[in-house]
Amino acid sequence: MTVFFQSLVNALQWGSFYALIALGYSMVYGVLMLFNFAHGDVFMVGAYISFIVATALTALAAAGTIAIPGWVVLLLTIVCAMMLNAIVGIIIERVGYRPLREAPRASAAITGLMIGIILETGVLAIMGAQRAKFPSLIQSVTYDVGGVFITNKKIMIVLVSIVLMLALDQFVKKTKWGMAMRAMAFDYTVVPLMGVPANVIAALTFAIGSGLAASAGCLFGVAYPVLDPYMGIVFGWKAFVAAILGGRGSILGATLAGFLLGFIEIFVALIFPSTMRDFIAYSIILLILTFRPHGFFGEPHSARLRL
Amino acid sequence: MTNQQPEIQSNGPSKGGKGYFKAFRSYFSCVPMLGWLAGIIAAVLFERFLGDQISELLGLPKIPVLFGCMIMLKDFSLIPSALAFLVGVYFIPILLVGRALAPVFNGLAGMIYKISPMFSVVLHLALLYLALHLWADLSAYRLMTLKFTLVAVMLTLSLNVINGYMGEFSCSHPGFMALGAYAASVFTLVLFTNDRFFGEALLSPSMGVYFFPVAIILGGFAAALGALVIAIPSFRTRGDYLAIISLAFMFIVKSLIENLEVVGGPRGLGSQPNYASLPMVFGWTVLCIWVINNFVRSTLGKALNAVRDDESAADAMTVNTRRTKMVGFLFGAFWAGAAGGLFAHILRYVNPASFGLQRLAEILAMVYFGGLNSVHGSIVGAVSISLLGEALRPLELFKWIIIPLLLILVMIFRPTGLIAFKEFNVKQLVRPRN
Amino acid sequence: MPLLEIKDLSIRFGGLQAVKNYNLTMNPGDIRGLIGPNGAGKTTVFNMMTGILTPTEGQVLLNNWSIEGFQPYQIAARGIGRTFQNLCLWRHMTVLEHVKMACYSKITYGLFGAFFGGARRKREETQMTNKAMDLLALVKLDQFADQLVGNLPYGAQRRMEIARALATDPKILLLDEPTAGMNPEELDQIMEIIRLVHGEYKMAILLIEHRLKFVMELCERIQALVFGEVIAEGEPEEIRNHPQVIEAYLGKEIEY
Repeated sequence: MTVFFQSLVNALQWGSFYALIALGYSMVYGVLMLFNFAHGDVFMVGAYISFIVATALTALAAAGTIAIPGWVVLLLTIVCAMMLNAIVGIIIERVGYRPLREAPRASAAITGLMIGIILETGVLAIMGAQRAKFPSLIQSVTYDVGGVFITNKKIMIVLVSIVLMLALDQFVKKTKWGMAMRAMAFDYTVVPLMGVPANVIAALTFAIGSGLAASAGCLFGVAYPVLDPYMGIVFGWKAFVAAILGGRGSILGATLAGFLLGFIEIFVALIFPSTMRDFIAYSIILLILTFRPHGFFGEPHSARLRL
Repeated sequence: MTNQQPEIQSNGPSKGGKGYFKAFRSYFSCVPMLGWLAGIIAAVLFERFLGDQISELLGLPKIPVLFGCMIMLKDFSLIPSALAFLVGVYFIPILLVGRALAPVFNGLAGMIYKISPMFSVVLHLALLYLALHLWADLSAYRLMTLKFTLVAVMLTLSLNVINGYMGEFSCSHPGFMALGAYAASVFTLVLFTNDRFFGEALLSPSMGVYFFPVAIILGGFAAALGALVIAIPSFRTRGDYLAIISLAFMFIVKSLIENLEVVGGPRGLGSQPNYASLPMVFGWTVLCIWVINNFVRSTLGKALNAVRDDESAADAMTVNTRRTKMVGFLFGAFWAGAAGGLFAHILRYVNPASFGLQRLAEILAMVYFGGLNSVHGSIVGAVSISLLGEALRPLELFKWIIIPLLLILVMIFRPTGLIAFKEFNVKQLVRPRN
Repeated sequence: MPLLEIKDLSIRFGGLQAVKNYNLTMNPGDIRGLIGPNGAGKTTVFNMMTGILTPTEGQVLLNNWSIEGFQPYQIAARGIGRTFQNLCLWRHMTVLEHVKMACYSKITYGLFGAFFGGARRKREETQMTNKAMDLLALVKLDQFADQLVGNLPYGAQRRMEIARALATDPKILLLDEPTAGMNPEELDQIMEIIRLVHGEYKMAILLIEHRLKFVMELCERIQALVFGEVIAEGEPEEIRNHPQVIEAYLGKEIEY
């Protein structure tokens, strides 16, 4: 039983990474009907940006006389990384996707894939091949709750993710911009006619997605301090699966699917040899999609790749 | 495939401007395919017999292996001599032989064409093979590159059937390739090889070469069977569903092989017999192009386009849409499997890691670079991306910036690829030009 | 025995009764019209007849064969050909390819022929090409056979759709607003083509139309559909003077 709860805690943490990345996918897919295959690498860039910001801030804190508490540094890192990565997202949208707005969607997907490769290579060229060590910002404290070990980091990660998801949900539901986004998701062609600037909404969508990816990157760095330029690939594709599993453009769906993917992976590894993890996880997803072709919260729609 | 060479040549001196380029093109427009092939063979023979002397004369360490790209990128001071070699050994002989003997070749091509267009096509293919064989004979590296390029053509074309002609977005090609590679490898290893995994050969190893096509076909069918697993659930609905299902399938196949200790698990499967000779690979590639081109030009195959452009209209016009999609998908998968089988026997080693996301990105890049819904496009895409990948190797990291950037530019300026939506008419290609 | 028999065809979308108890009997060579305001359920009737929608009640019999449970392509191959209200074209295909595609159900060379070619395929493809060219000549498009459909003017695309529907060898041809968005000149061409098809092939034609004049001139009998129900049926003259039809089209006369 303790093993079960221990895994539950781990799965929550693991799932929050997937969920945060899947949200970015889901936003872009929902609003613009695009597969942003660069998103996994945007997550990786976010992790590196937080690494740089965190290292700089710790160095600054060490140089100064006043001791800044670790959690303040962490908070600053997350906010800075989110903002910087949002800019990265906007640039990607501007350079890679906007020229292809009228092109077949598959072409945009390919562009995304290529931007991803450029990001990987770029980071590799700038940061070098050796893995980056994320500075430990907060002291790890382990609580023993009836045999289940919970670290303060895990609690923090899950909490921060949930707060971000709720904030996103509120943003999309309550604000003017969020409403414009939903309108655009509903009918892409009509919205520009209503006086909603499509380009701004597209940029905003990318910015939000990338910001969330950066937060995931930062939290990932806190939990698993070793970063490498290719870490975004597997994460990205898995989060992509989660985003589709959640249903087109559904925030709740992407979140749940992200957590579900985390749960499946952790629990499969618990029962079966860990090498079977992908096999079983994806078989389950295949089964789910066979019976719920439009994901958890997606509505049937007959959109096809515009060729 | 044959119209590759002349295009590459004519790009060289075209930098002077569009008018200049046009004049250049019209000057050479009278050269038939036969003339170009003869020119290429002449150039390759020239390189074969005088290449060493010429490269020594120009101060090159050896004959440039891949059109001098490697030499140029490794040592910038050698760029002029490498270019000189390229112009002297390739461009000038090809252009000269092609243009000077154009009337002769036109007459010849006309004569052969009159006998039988099919015969003419076969003859052209034989000449092409001769040229490739002579070119690749010079170094093992060239041979390897050539074989992989041919396999890439098969892969690209087969994915084009699904992503281009059918208009779906399938991500499972590496998975199909893996199925084909492993099925074919197990077949040859069990039957014809004394292997540490599978023990003594069941049949005489000397018979193996003759049964190799069976192995390839088996690989193709293994992949098609895998495709059936995806097709059954995914063609009930429409939309982006296939993309995700096929992606999941690719992960499943990779993970399944990693867990199958019988075929070596993550360590992979090695020491496949050396059956994939150049004629074998060339023959399969030609067969693949021929069959796919046949298919997409028939009304039965064009039904794929109808289903892609408007499914309900296709349905109302008596097209069995479900069967059409199924056939297209399984057909594409079959050729991916066959290509996988060849790949395994060229490299003589396969492991699950080589059928992952990177392979997927590579194949997708080739398809979309070359052009959707076109056989030309797939050939151009596969050849140029494969050769570019090899040629830019000395740049190491920057290769992975240049190629993606190139592809992004192509996507921005020609969103469906360089040569999209064009019919591939072989008979037109081998006609005399007068 | 009638060619086409529709008995009590009804369909409900959720709470909305889109079509209610629609009946129709057609004999070979009949030409009928179906009129009604927008949203009356005319296209829905067509969609039920071609298997795109499954009726909640009622049946459609073609030569006493019930279409129930068959896929649209099977029904089309059995002899119900149609055109679409908003053009449904395959934008990357040529005009000739469009018409040839509609011969799909008659292909017998199978996958083997498709993959490896052969004499049989060559023969059948040539036959299909000839047939398609004949049909294109009928709609006066033979000189555009190798054009992509997108390059044709709108009226020509409409005519191409008729040729395409004819290529399925229909026993009954359903034309869904063949004159929508056309100018008078194109209108005359379409009228001529429909007359030709009707006269030469003795084909049964069911026509959905907005333009009353057009229907009145062409059709022998007309049904008027309003809110999914047939409110009037009869000869053009009867329909023209039918009070309910006038009401549906022009609105109720306000009596003081």
